Amino acid sequence: MPDQKNIYKAIRAKLTNIIDESPLIKTFVLVPENEFSFKTGQFIELSVDGIGEAPFTPSSSPLVTEKLEVTVMKTGYVTDYMHNLKPGVHMGIRGPFGRGYPVESFYGKEVLILGGGCGLAPIRSLLFALESIKDKLVKVILCYGSKTPADCIYKPIFERLNNTEKFEAYRTVDKADESWDGSVGVATTLLSKINISISNSVAVVCGPPIMMKFGTIRLLEMGYRDEQIYLSMEKNMSCGLGKCGHCMMGEFFVCRDGPVFTYNEIKHNPEIWM
Amino acid sequence: MMQPTIEELKNVRFFDNYTDGQLKIFIDISSIKEFKVKEILFEQYDELNEIYVLLNGCLSLGISLAKEKRIRLGTLEEGHLFSWSAVFSPYISTAWVMATCPTRVIAIDAKKLLLEFDKNCEFGFKTMSKIAQTISQRLSDTRFQLMNQLTL
Repeated sequence: MPDQKNIYKAIRAKLTNIIDESPLIKTFVLVPENEFSFKTGQFIELSVDGIGEAPFTPSSSPLVTEKLEVTVMKTGYVTDYMHNLKPGVHMGIRGPFGRGYPVESFYGKEVLILGGGCGLAPIRSLLFALESIKDKLVKVILCYGSKTPADCIYKPIFERLNNTEKFEAYRTVDKADESWDGSVGVATTLLSKINISISNSVAVVCGPPIMMKFGTIRLLEMGYRDEQIYLSMEKNMSCGLGKCGHCMMGEFFVCRDGPVFTYNEIKHNPEIWM
Repeated sequence: MMQPTIEELKNVRFFDNYTDGQLKIFIDISSIKEFKVKEILFEQYDELNEIYVLLNGCLSLGISLAKEKRIRLGTLEEGHLFSWSAVFSPYISTAWVMATCPTRVIAIDAKKLLLEFDKNCEFGFKTMSKIAQTISQRLSDTRFQLMNQLTL
């Protein structure tokens, strides 16, 4: 539950910077009026005065409390408006909400992260968290796919991870152009190039529903058990409190019981990949 | 003609779980081939006589829409098998494969391999299972790619 006196009231945050990540994706740097903490994988409701509110998972480090970064894809009314904002305006933040990644349970294990498209935003936050506890992990492997080289966000993160002890990062694109000499193919194709001890690892999947579906199937084929696979379910979260029902998925309110679930918890739900 | 060694095969993922005797069968009907950057290993619709396993280097695979129009659909990883059409009638390739950096592959004579399958059913079943797995994964990736395109 959010650590706020009035859970419906947003706290003010100043938009201090906007970073272009790809043609459709920008990162918004916000400085809340009060310190703001969250656990990696939890989400917030971000509001623009007079326009509306939308859910986002912060992409910044959960260890940093004085500022917050949110990476936003231009997909609808609120996000379109946000993409036209300029630094200096104030926005509202409610949250954090839901259940994030149980990083303490990753101790002593290898962590495989499979991401696609804008799914790298929550993963970036997770990577910051995992870097801070890397002494307790065996290794971390990131496999990420974007539609084109231009659509890849946080490009510098890959080089940085590959220069960080215990971290490996791989990228692929669905559609290559002349500038691209790396892997071509969907994100799951990267899974065949990694070396991982499946019995002593967990897998985290975050991205568009199609990628989540095919990624989970491939992980199961590789030998992962249902409870070893963590899925970040991005549904239509609205109130953040399990009240309004917008994000219901079977017996679960994604906003309250998720957004991070193990595959084991939700595999019987017919709406899982919708 | 340079042949691979048992040690070399043991370091290649495709050859996992074979006995030394079975690896020897591969060695007797294989050679190592090298390709330069931009060299085409085979074109789409070529008749294939060999199946390949990528030892090291980088390979792109794709389809051709017209003579000069190549669409890159994927890249192959080290240890992976390709040109599986060489062991299935009509033995015609379904894609082109091009080296994008200096590349070494193990080329296995497909006709001789099929004869070995007749002689040694366990070896044949194991190898065909691995080939089927390769094809199944390629099909799954293609469906994923198709779904991506349909939902753009």
